[in-house]
Parts: sequence; structure tokens; C-alpha cells
Amino acid sequence: MADLFSNLALGFGVAFTPINLLLCLIGALVGTLVGVLPGIGTIATVAMLLPITFGLPPVGALIMLAGIYYGAQYGGSTTSILVNIPGEATSVVTTLDGFQMAKQGRAGPALAIAAIGSFFAGCVATVLIAVLGAPLTKLALAFGPAEYFSLMVLGLIFAVVLAKGSVLKAIAMIVFGLLLSMVGSDIETGASRMAFNIPELADGLGFATVAMGVFGFAEIIRNLDAGAEMDRDLVQQKITGLMPTKKDLIDSAPAILRGTVLGSILGILPGGGAVIASFAAYTFEKKIAKDPSRFGRGAIEGVAAPESANNAAAQTSFIPLLTLGIPPNAVMALMVGAMTIHGIVPGPQVMQKQPELVWGMIASMWIGNLMLIIINLPLVGIWVRLLRVPYRLMFPSIVIFCAIGIYSINNAPVDVILAGAFGLLGYWLIKHDFEPAPLLLGMVLGPLMEENLRRALLISRGDWTVFLTRPLSAGLMATAAFLLVLALLPSLRKKRDEVFVESES
Amino acid sequence: MSDAPSHGPVKSIMPSWVRGPQDFVGGIALMAIALFALWASSDLQGMHGFSFGAGTAPRMFAVLLLLLGAGVALMGILVEGAHLAQYHWRGPLFVTLAILSFAFTIRPLGLVISAMASFLISAMGTPETKWKETIIVGICLTIGCSLLFPYALGLPLQLFPRFLVQ
Repeated sequence: MADLFSNLALGFGVAFTPINLLLCLIGALVGTLVGVLPGIGTIATVAMLLPITFGLPPVGALIMLAGIYYGAQYGGSTTSILVNIPGEATSVVTTLDGFQMAKQGRAGPALAIAAIGSFFAGCVATVLIAVLGAPLTKLALAFGPAEYFSLMVLGLIFAVVLAKGSVLKAIAMIVFGLLLSMVGSDIETGASRMAFNIPELADGLGFATVAMGVFGFAEIIRNLDAGAEMDRDLVQQKITGLMPTKKDLIDSAPAILRGTVLGSILGILPGGGAVIASFAAYTFEKKIAKDPSRFGRGAIEGVAAPESANNAAAQTSFIPLLTLGIPPNAVMALMVGAMTIHGIVPGPQVMQKQPELVWGMIASMWIGNLMLIIINLPLVGIWVRLLRVPYRLMFPSIVIFCAIGIYSINNAPVDVILAGAFGLLGYWLIKHDFEPAPLLLGMVLGPLMEENLRRALLISRGDWTVFLTRPLSAGLMATAAFLLVLALLPSLRKKRDEVFVESES
Repeated sequence: MSDAPSHGPVKSIMPSWVRGPQDFVGGIALMAIALFALWASSDLQGMHGFSFGAGTAPRMFAVLLLLLGAGVALMGILVEGAHLAQYHWRGPLFVTLAILSFAFTIRPLGLVISAMASFLISAMGTPETKWKETIIVGICLTIGCSLLFPYALGLPLQLFPRFLVQ
């Protein structure tokens, strides 16, 4: 316990320096902006801003990138409530009740509850990271290559179970990602693999390049299909009375609590994350409500729960990254990229060798959440005005920003071309109903999985049963198998589909 | 990449035993990618003893993808599914052209020309573009980027054409 406080004190000491406060604010603001604007996601933004962080000290860089990530969760809710457009996938379910509330002239309370819920969830998640960090790091030291490999298998299976649509297609996407990660030099022998003598491929496909392609460019191309003029049914009346009534607060308090718990758990699980957390929290609220028919007609719990859940999950997904060095989702994978650029290898060693980095970032999350709640509500008007910028002007700007961003990572024009190619690939994937998120996760975990598989087999002298004879590893594998079977069972599959259907109805 | 060309009403192209053309074509394409990867990694060393060679993991994943692709294609035959989605040519074409133009001009011509040109090319991606406002926004954006990236962020980007600077 004393450790915890001294750690947090160290963290706040780092986070409260003026430069880090400023970076935290910038990150939170950029995140909110991205969250507000539909058509540009968190993944593409973090990828785009990676080069910007080159010149910053490592702590500052991570603080800013983290700010973008949780800031986007706030921004997404604003547009969901006011204009029925989810700026982020994580806020899709918030539109259901949030926009209804806005239509009834209760936009203010909806926004306030979303912000309060997010803030509460952010605080809890920050404490959770601080509390769980040290013990999990100890656990990580008990992990050998076999356990790491099994844990990653479990994470990928989680990603499949939680992904939308066909299980088979999601697994196919993961394996496709694993295959893509093989391009480049072999870690052990240095042999060039599938690089076709292109020098820029010798180091492998850049993760940011692929992410920008399948999430940035592909998204733009797809939006253009629908016509640049997106339907923007703005709520015209002025937002009056931000303050929620006493009844609102009483109604939403338990929902916020439940959303926070659910979100925190789903965030920690590898393969989980903010999107699934918000869906799950909404479905859960609807299930346990006395009168489920209120949902979809402006129930305040329908705003409070998913907004708390997505914010909690966005933050707790840092736990596996910081303690085990395994990125649980694509944004965290980009954070690995940011850390590697600064010469930090994420994993249990970071907590011990560079405590100021880890605890500084954790403390900054709490500060960032506080900033968001203060700046966000007064700025709502500005964010809404931004939405009036027509997409026909926005999309070429995003194209240019993405192109400059990719180019400046390595100063390599080939990277830009590759990102374009992956944009077309992503467009094709969308057209065939393949989810790009598992592909990215596979791509991130590919090299780690190969390395640990190799090592595990080398240690066991070629004995493949090592994954089942070591107790920890066997447990992880069994959980993975169990989950996969569950996902394929017809009854659960129906439930799983229901969760996602919410957004479309 | 493996971007299928746009074909109009697709129903007629697929034989009647394919019930879910979207999955069928998707699965076949994944199999093609897997076969390509198998071919591309065929020159790499395989297992020696119980330690992995450079080619072991790529081939392992490629075979897995081949099987999964076959599975997806099979689903397309057996299960009633979605038709092929309609492809549009305008958005993909101009956005791709804009990206390519940026990639090829950024080195020789510098950020100012390159960014402006790509902005205008990608704006052609939609018929709704109004040229006057697009050009104004393009100029503002180019100025903004020229100040932001090289100066504010200190990235080594050249602003003007190489032959003018030298």
C-alpha cells in the first residue's frame, strides 16, 4: 500500500511539470477533436501523430498519445448525443438514447451525465492500473515463452469472440495479419522473408503504415461511396440547462458504476477494448432494467453505462501493455511503436527500470480526465460547429495529413505507396465484410508469437506438448479453447449477434 | 492490391451453386494470397532438428490462411449470404492517385507543391467538390502544414522544389 502511494506521488510529480501538463492538454484536445469528427478514427490519428512525438521526451510523448486515446472517447459521445453521428465506434450505442434525450430537449443533462460517467470511470481505471500494475508485473516474471505464447493465443481468441460477424472470417483475418507480420528480416537468422528485394521492406511492413491504410484511407474511400454529403441532422435548439436533475443523478449512478466495472474488466482482457465494452454495458443495462422498453427512447442509463464503460476500458487496456508487454488492441500496438521509437521495450522491465515513465503516464490520465470534464462542457458549441465543415473539404485534408504523417515516420515515399495499397486492400475487406481490427492485432502479435513459439520449442527440445504440460500455459490454452467452443455454440452466437444488432436497429 | 474491378449487377456472373458470393470470392482471394505467400517463402530454410528455420513460421501461417480461406469459400457455397457489394471507382481512383502523386513528388518537388497537388487530386474523388472553396481551403491547409511540420515539429521536410533550393 505504501508502495502504491509513493508510486502515485512519483507519478504526479512527473505529470505536474508544466510541459507534461501542456502535452496532456494537447492530447486530450486533439483526442476530443478526433472523437467529434466522424470519418477519422483513433487508430489513424495516433498513427498520424507518431512522428510528431519524435522530438518529445518519452514521457511527454506517451502522455500525449494516451490523451488522444481517452479524449476520443469523450468527443465521440458529444456528437452521438447532439447529432446522432457516432464520431467513434465506441459511441455507437450512445446514439440510441443520447440522441433521443437531445430531441426531448435534454441534451444538456445527457452530455453532463456522459462526462461525469466518463470521469468517474477514468478515476476508477487509473486507480486500478496503479493497484494491479505491480502484482501483474510479478506474475509476468513467472511467464516463460510457452506461457507468453498461450497468453497471446488466448488474446487472439478473445478478439475473435468479441469481433462482429463470422468467427471463421475473424480468425482468417488474424492469420492474414500474422502472415503480413512475417514480411521482413527473420529475427534469428536475418534471412530476408517475402521482401522481394525491396529495401524498404527489409525491416518489415510498418505497423503504422498498415494501420493508416486499412483504417485511414480505406475509411475515406468507403465514406466517399456513400456520397460526401453525410446526413447531418443537427439539433437546432440551443442547449439549455447543462445540469442534470437530482432524479437523473440517482437513476444514472448505479448504471455508471456497473458500466465502469464491466468496462474495466473488458479493457484488461487481451483482445477486448472500448468498443465491445460500450456494447456490452448497454446490453447489460437493458437486460436488468425493470422496464426495458424505455431504452431507445431517452433512458439516461443508456447514456451513462456505455460512456463509463468505454472510458474505463480505454484506460485499463494499458494494463496488459505495461505489465506484460502485450498490446491488447490496435491503439496499444501503436503505443508500442511509440515506445520503441524512444528505445523503450514495453513489458515488466519498464515498471522497474523506468518507474517515472509508467507512473507519470498513469497520473497524467487522471489529470487528463479532469481537464476533459472541465474543457469539454463549455466547448460543446465549438465542437458542434466543427461538424458543419462539409466532408468534401475534410476528406482531402485527412488524406494529406495521413500522407505527410506516414512519410515522416521513415522519410520513405515507399511507405506512402504501401499505405495507399493497404487502403485499397482495406476497402476490399470492408466490401467483403472482413473486419480489419483482428488483422491489425494479428500483425502486432505476429513477431512476438513467432519468437516465443520458437523459444518454447527450443527449450522443450521440439516437444509440442509443452504448451499443455506447463500448468499456467495449459490453463490459458484451455480457456482459449473453451471460449472458441462457446463462440461457436448456436445459442451464444445468437446472443452475440444481438449485442451488435443494437447499433443497427 | 487485390482490389476486384467494379462489376455492375453481379448476380449473373456467379454460378447458381454459390449461395453467398461475398464470402465465396473473399475466401478464394484469401487462398490466392496464401498461395502467393507460400510461393514467396518457398526459398527460405525450413525446420532443422527441432529449431525453426526462417521459413517455418511464414509457411505455417500461409497454410493456416489457405485452410481458413477454403473454409470461408466453402461457407459461401453452403450458406445463403450477401451478394457482392457494389464497387465505386471515383473515390478509390482519385484518393489512390492523390497518395501516389504525393509519394512521387514529395522528394523532388517539396511539401508545398506536393501537398497542394494531392489535395486537389483527392478532391476530385467526389462530384460534390466546389472548386473555389476547395482551392481556398487547399491553400490554407498547405500553408498550415508548411508551418506545422517543418517548423513547429521540426521534421526534416523540404518545402520547395530541390532545383530551386540548390
